[in-house]
Amino acid sequence: MRKFSPLSALILALLLGALTSPSLAQAPTLREQLVYSLNLFDGKGYTPGFCPRSEDTIYLIANENNAVSLRSTLVYFWPITGNYVAGFKALNEEIEGTLEVMKEGEVTRSLGKEENVTYYPEGFFAENSRMYLGEEAHAFFQKYEKATEDYYGRINEYYEKMREYRDAFNKFLEDLSKRREAGEELSRAQVEAEMPTEPSPPEGVKFYVTPLRKDYILNLPQGVYQIRMRARDGTIIEDSQKNLVVFARRREGGVGYEIIPGNRWTMRENLDDPSKTIYAAGKNTLYLRPFLQDEYNELYYKKLLDPQNEGTPERWMWVHTSSLENVLLSFLKKGKLLERIKKAPYYVKQIPGPELGYEIIEYKEEEFPGRAPTFEGHKLDLSPVLEKGNYQLRLEKREGEVLKGSERKILLVRKENANLLYLISIFPLIVGLVVFVQRKRSIS
Amino acid sequence: MRSRFSFASHTTKALVRRDFLSTLKGWGLYLAAFVSLMSSSFILKSHLGAIKENNILISSDPLNYPLFISLVIVSFYLAIISVISISREKDQGTLEVLFYGPVNSSSYLVAKYTKDMLLYLVMVCFFFVYFTAVSSLTNLAFSWSLVKAIFLSIFSVSCIVSFGLFISSLTSKMRTSIIWLVGILLAFLAIQIFHTMLVSLEEEALSSSLLYLRKTLEMVSRGTGWISPFSYLNRGMQSIAIGSMRLYGMSILYSLVYSFILLVSSVLILEAKGVRG
Repeated sequence: MRKFSPLSALILALLLGALTSPSLAQAPTLREQLVYSLNLFDGKGYTPGFCPRSEDTIYLIANENNAVSLRSTLVYFWPITGNYVAGFKALNEEIEGTLEVMKEGEVTRSLGKEENVTYYPEGFFAENSRMYLGEEAHAFFQKYEKATEDYYGRINEYYEKMREYRDAFNKFLEDLSKRREAGEELSRAQVEAEMPTEPSPPEGVKFYVTPLRKDYILNLPQGVYQIRMRARDGTIIEDSQKNLVVFARRREGGVGYEIIPGNRWTMRENLDDPSKTIYAAGKNTLYLRPFLQDEYNELYYKKLLDPQNEGTPERWMWVHTSSLENVLLSFLKKGKLLERIKKAPYYVKQIPGPELGYEIIEYKEEEFPGRAPTFEGHKLDLSPVLEKGNYQLRLEKREGEVLKGSERKILLVRKENANLLYLISIFPLIVGLVVFVQRKRSIS
Repeated sequence: MRSRFSFASHTTKALVRRDFLSTLKGWGLYLAAFVSLMSSSFILKSHLGAIKENNILISSDPLNYPLFISLVIVSFYLAIISVISISREKDQGTLEVLFYGPVNSSSYLVAKYTKDMLLYLVMVCFFFVYFTAVSSLTNLAFSWSLVKAIFLSIFSVSCIVSFGLFISSLTSKMRTSIIWLVGILLAFLAIQIFHTMLVSLEEEALSSSLLYLRKTLEMVSRGTGWISPFSYLNRGMQSIAIGSMRLYGMSILYSLVYSFILLVSSVLILEAKGVRG
């Protein structure tokens, strides 16, 4: 009689799995695909990306400008991330036509391409950006070109002034040496007063505007749509049909924090949800950066950032939109104010040595000429002498005027009791022993 | 004529009382609770170490993960005792003797199920005492979501107990029951591992046979998500982590339906196979 053995089945399955796993070291296969190139509004700025053939839905935020275009490119699978990657540098052929937006099977809009630019008011590497279309796009691009031109003009002037300064300085040194040879005695203050002043370099252009592009602009109310591309000959381009989920934020204007721990400043943590608590132990220095934030559906938002991302439709996530300025951070215990902390700039100074390798010091322009602060934040020192217990944080616009939704809890944990945890695990055995003794007694 | 699902409450009470007291007087329950709480303590100690090392921990429910680990261990214990409960009595011939009296399949199954659930309620008391002590010793918050998780665990454990009783009703030897339980759980695990492995590979790179296997495993894996009792526990804990009341309510409802179906099936199997089967 044959008997089923689960163990044998498992071993067989493992062997089968090992034999059938293809090698991951092979070079990726490039395949030509029609993809949608995306530049989508993500709540604070614009995120570039693409939607490969494997994904049938594009996600957008409602009532915002979003740029899309259909392109033929080379796509390959990247096993490390498990995602498809587009090789736009190798092939980037734009597909012309009319983009049709459909709702419930009917074409509601036929879109042509529009000129657009993305404007970064705080520079290219800042997170916030806006999109401008048509005349406004031209105006912004010209403004940027003019600012860049002016900057190059100022740079040329600066180089000219530097050349003059070097000549003047050399002449000053020669005169100085002649005067000293002639027996003139000069004090340090006199020398400094007569010394030519070095010109300062001009300030760069703080904002950035992308070159003018032509894309299809989708600005739609919340809902579910389909898009497809109609070629100039009137036919629908194969593989151009995608679903479009246009979603809105659930809550807006919340307050979240980014926390920079003093002992690992590059490992920032987010404290967005009001239900979350900061647990801390020992001596801590935390730098808190408050943000305004909006709440989105996690699945939709992650799919917006990359249509290949995964998410949970039941989960919600906060997205920082802009930094909160001119607020005070209050640190309290049982409602009693312990400290009010102002926002300050900090500079991370690299130092040689076996310890952290850096030091975070308050930034002062005169101490770091020509350098920008590394970050700005409210510095909260959790001293080891603080009583272990529950503390609160909140933001105030002015003294006493609390910003709604900014309250958070800080609990200082008692790490010294960690070993007692093993001791309390024993109590079921003690209960068992009591039952055992009782039973013995009742029998006897 | 009495229906096959009718049961005398007096008989059931007597059976529950006998089995429950007998397990309470043994060491198994206390040892299982001790091992599960010890594992939680180990995890909590690592958590506290990590807070010190990383400066901070940001969490809304720091005790939920240690609870989950405790629940998995306690669930294994309850799965084992429920899987052997019927087969042991069949094996020893006690079941036959019982069925000569006023005991029928449904009253017997309900008694076994109630006894295991009562044992779990004892565990719940241990959890409350333990996590309250942990919270006051370490200052890690005993949150409302922990209470929700403990409440939900009653329904998840109900699935595990019903699953154990269902397997037990199918077998007549204690050893066979345990082998079946372990075998089935390992098979669920293997399906999950292979499915994850194949999903992480590029579709175009897979041969047609592997593609077929992937699709099959996808379906099987979706199916095991509804068959495996441990996936109900996992789903319930996820609903708490997400903070969705709808998913939380659905988890409770699914667990009740699952337990009901398996208990009714166990009664039918026991009826069909007889006391010696």
